[in-house]
Amino acid sequence: MRRAEVREAAAALFNDQRNPFGAFSLGSETHHAVTIPDAVRRCRWIAVDINASAFGLYFVSPSPERARLVACFDSDYPGTAVATKFISGANGEDVVRHSRISTAPRWWVDGIAGSRQVFQSLAWAEEASPLAPGTNGIAFPVHADRGQCGLVVFLGSEIALSDETLCEIHARSFALFAAVARIRPGDAGRTRSMSKRELECLKLTANGNTSEEIAKLLKLSVHTANQYLTQSTQKLNAVNRNQAVAKALRLGLIE
Amino acid sequence: MSSPAALLQPDASGPRLTSRGDLTSFFMQLAADIGADSYMLVAIVHDQDRNDARIVSSNWIFDAIELIGKRLIANLALGPLTVAPGVRPKPLVAAHAPEAGALLTGEEARLLDVLGHAEIYSLRLNVGRQRLFVLFSAAEADKIDLTALMKAQLKCCYALSSIPQLIAAASMQDPLSDRERECLFWVSEGKTTDEVAVILGVSSNTVNSYITHAIQKFAASNRAMAIATAIRSGII
Repeated sequence: MRRAEVREAAAALFNDQRNPFGAFSLGSETHHAVTIPDAVRRCRWIAVDINASAFGLYFVSPSPERARLVACFDSDYPGTAVATKFISGANGEDVVRHSRISTAPRWWVDGIAGSRQVFQSLAWAEEASPLAPGTNGIAFPVHADRGQCGLVVFLGSEIALSDETLCEIHARSFALFAAVARIRPGDAGRTRSMSKRELECLKLTANGNTSEEIAKLLKLSVHTANQYLTQSTQKLNAVNRNQAVAKALRLGLIE
Repeated sequence: MSSPAALLQPDASGPRLTSRGDLTSFFMQLAADIGADSYMLVAIVHDQDRNDARIVSSNWIFDAIELIGKRLIANLALGPLTVAPGVRPKPLVAAHAPEAGALLTGEEARLLDVLGHAEIYSLRLNVGRQRLFVLFSAAEADKIDLTALMKAQLKCCYALSSIPQLIAAASMQDPLSDRERECLFWVSEGKTTDEVAVILGVSSNTVNSYITHAIQKFAASNRAMAIATAIRSGII
């Protein structure tokens, strides 16, 4: 019972700092200061609590064409586990489609049959095809504030879960993903700062206004309005206005 | 796509919802379990610069909704008190509301208090890519169990995931066909009509017609606005 020992030791060390939903729910300020190693540690905490032997966090690519999972980290961090290669490969396609329409967790049993009963007792979770061959596990679809979608996966032949803990673990996975999504917002980190005027023009474009209308609304000349839009398109590294609007919305620069 | 789950015989006493009636009884039961007196499930519909609340299911009395107004409900759902799953919720306490920013006026807060919404929690629900909001409220402060509320938030997501058609119809967030959605996605990636035609292997006239349809369905005035509407409602 090595895992039980680990859990006891960990509980003795950290228990007073934890609440039922882990450190992420303590207050909004704790959401920001998180690094990937920090997130890995927190994910390991969740894994220990449900007796999972491995875990991983994945992003769903936003394109409808490429239904793939992109690995952010797994339990072999900073390396990559073998299971991750399967999950971010073709095995993950079905669960990506699932996570676009449903938030229900999905489980599979392809190794030791022991955990089948545990999974079958979960009212809200569904059975699915294995994400990695020869493993048992459960995958939680998660969503962050800006519409990013992802998957938190736990693997292990002795996973312990009940209907009550399922919700708690899923809630903690949501909080973990939200924190990770905030530090890894795609290409947002490399976006140059946008001026107030540029954002205003972009927002009006998103609301369906033409350059002429924007010029009138903001009391500018049409050339100036176009100039602002060109600058914002360049700063967002977009090829045209449509893409600039899409990027600004996805990055949360405009609402 | 036939998943193994679909082949399993559903448990008769299982929690999957099949009808509107199920949805109502699920929320009534859940509200009772966590100590709340009322609930309201809303979808937010973006209409140009304004947000409107579309009430999917609720046991608020009619007059409360009329007096408070859907605009205010939308502001509440999109306001800073709304939490994602996994974040400890903070209540809107009607009695202290005027100091909680510009969300409510003193008069509105008094009305809420009188109508049995002394304390309101606003939770974000993710049903796949769709977003909904649920408000749980109680007639007295500190009546709602916070830990149970956080778990209930996930249960709501699961329950709504089991009736995707109803949610899509209620929130009307995805009126597009697959092809229209695909075209709009590629346009949002900065592709021109001709490029999209090559990507999808159809003629550029067809692409233009898909996009025109999408623009019409969203009542948008141009491509940029159609893209913005689609992204705001999580379709692309």
